[in-house]
Amino acid sequence: MSQHTGRIDDFGMDTISLAGPLPAKLRAIREAGFSQVMLSARDLVGHAEGVEAAIAAVRESGLRVTGFQVLRDFEGLSGQLHEYKVDIAKSMLELCAAVGAKVLLVCSSTSAHASADPDLIARDLRKLAMLAIPRGIRVAFEALSWGRNIEEFPAAWDVVMRADMPNLGIGLDSFHMFATKTSLDELQWLDPERIFLVQLADFMWQEIRSVEERIATARHFRVFPGEGAHSDQVAELVSRLHAQGYRGDYSFEVFNDDYQQIPLPDVARRARRAADWLGEGILRRSVPLPGAMRLQRAA
Amino acid sequence: MTSPALERELRADPSDPIGLDGIEFVEYTTPRPQALGQVLETMGFRPIARHRSREVTLYRQGAMNVVVNASEPAPADGEGGHDDAPKIAAIALRVRDAAAAYRHVLDLGAWAVPTHVEVMELNIPAIHGVGGSRIYFVDRHREFSIYDVDFTAIPTVDPHPPALAGLHWFGVVQYIGNDRMQDWTAFYSMLFGFAVLPDDQRFGVMPKGRVLVGPGGAASRFYVQLIEPEPGIVDAEGREWIARIGLGTPDPRACVALLRERGVQFNETPHVHSDERGAVTRTQLGSVVFELVRDDRSAS
Repeated sequence: MSQHTGRIDDFGMDTISLAGPLPAKLRAIREAGFSQVMLSARDLVGHAEGVEAAIAAVRESGLRVTGFQVLRDFEGLSGQLHEYKVDIAKSMLELCAAVGAKVLLVCSSTSAHASADPDLIARDLRKLAMLAIPRGIRVAFEALSWGRNIEEFPAAWDVVMRADMPNLGIGLDSFHMFATKTSLDELQWLDPERIFLVQLADFMWQEIRSVEERIATARHFRVFPGEGAHSDQVAELVSRLHAQGYRGDYSFEVFNDDYQQIPLPDVARRARRAADWLGEGILRRSVPLPGAMRLQRAA
Repeated sequence: MTSPALERELRADPSDPIGLDGIEFVEYTTPRPQALGQVLETMGFRPIARHRSREVTLYRQGAMNVVVNASEPAPADGEGGHDDAPKIAAIALRVRDAAAAYRHVLDLGAWAVPTHVEVMELNIPAIHGVGGSRIYFVDRHREFSIYDVDFTAIPTVDPHPPALAGLHWFGVVQYIGNDRMQDWTAFYSMLFGFAVLPDDQRFGVMPKGRVLVGPGGAASRFYVQLIEPEPGIVDAEGREWIARIGLGTPDPRACVALLRERGVQFNETPHVHSDERGAVTRTQLGSVVFELVRDDRSAS
């Protein structure tokens, strides 16, 4: 094995890309050769035997938890709405910590009640990051392409910078970037240390004409990288992030109705094909030298 | 005495958002309170009062109060050695206005700890600190003793035992996970107004990590020292906890001699040994360590 072999360990799958109960999803992901999984709160809460059993299943799977999703419509609210969302955030942070996730994904708000003032948004994200500190969790803020006030990653980055918290960074999602046709040149302004997660997906057509179509495409018609109409852009995105110094995780977040009705191993194999293409064909990260770090475990 | 008009302006001081005025008490939890009590007594603390309804004892020397709590489980995520080892479960901060301080930190994203107060007991507001520990806010410490409400004095015991060798609170040492230095610095600086000391400014014989200095008056100021795992070691569990308490004394050598006579043992290795800067006690009961630091403030 050369030092520049593509590494499957750089990639993981989102549980939302698969149908079925959590243990079956975890098994399919592991058997496809992945070592990490991005968890959806629904998968834990909806486990037939309860959250504790779900947490045990994740731990027993041996898969590293890439992150935990998703907190929605958090920022920019006031009064009771704000208090309510802080409570929801605390519940999610507790679940996040219990399952061993180090990153909580937060999507930009779609709420009509949310303020557009970037300083108010930053204040709320700062508070969320503070809530996450004692539990050792990093908050990745992602621009949803149909967000009410923030729909592109440069705007998400702006409020992350305003909030100025060490455990608050940005989450990138290729689907949303391609849907809004945001220039990849904008990536140059990001600090790679503050990109906490990159989710990858493509879709089958070139143009998305309306916000409604954007939502429908995002929720039903995503495909794995290499299967869609923007393979060159996915490759460019990954290459640019690498050149800029990003060494974090990539996860495949593929909402697709067809994948919800074919066997899990078939879907996981498609994910694996995407990982092999990106890892070996595009990214070619170096493998860490053996013995470069030691693990310390509890006595 | 500050006039009411000036008081209003002082409240707005962003470098001291909660009016921090030192440590009111440190609380240990342990299933073996008598064993911990013996360790505390060798360090000069005396048991002076017992809780009215729970298995909790108050120890004191000089201006320092230590609460030994045998009626509560240890902090859930905390680790300070093996399971029945005592753990530092809480630090109580003296603040200008406890309710205001509590509201201030909750607004910024601190976690409120639900309190379970019995009838006629003091309701002390608390937030989550490191590793499941708590941070309490106490005011009115100048007006009356908060312990008079919940504790009964132990008969015939001096309620104000003097401090040995001028011992007083100096600070706490917190062990943190990999890449957590910035996070915990943000926690202490934003919530309480702590500031980072320059790297060339260190106290005592254990200079590793980063030292944060609290706001407030010089007499009650205390420090938080944050220590990451050794470089190259990844702590897979990411455990974090308050590892030890730092006690200030004007003359560490004299203090060490005095404590040795009382049976306290100190680390004397090529790496850590007692000298004029300070000393570190040997670990007792699997987790209990005190650090002595030269500090010219004497016990008040």
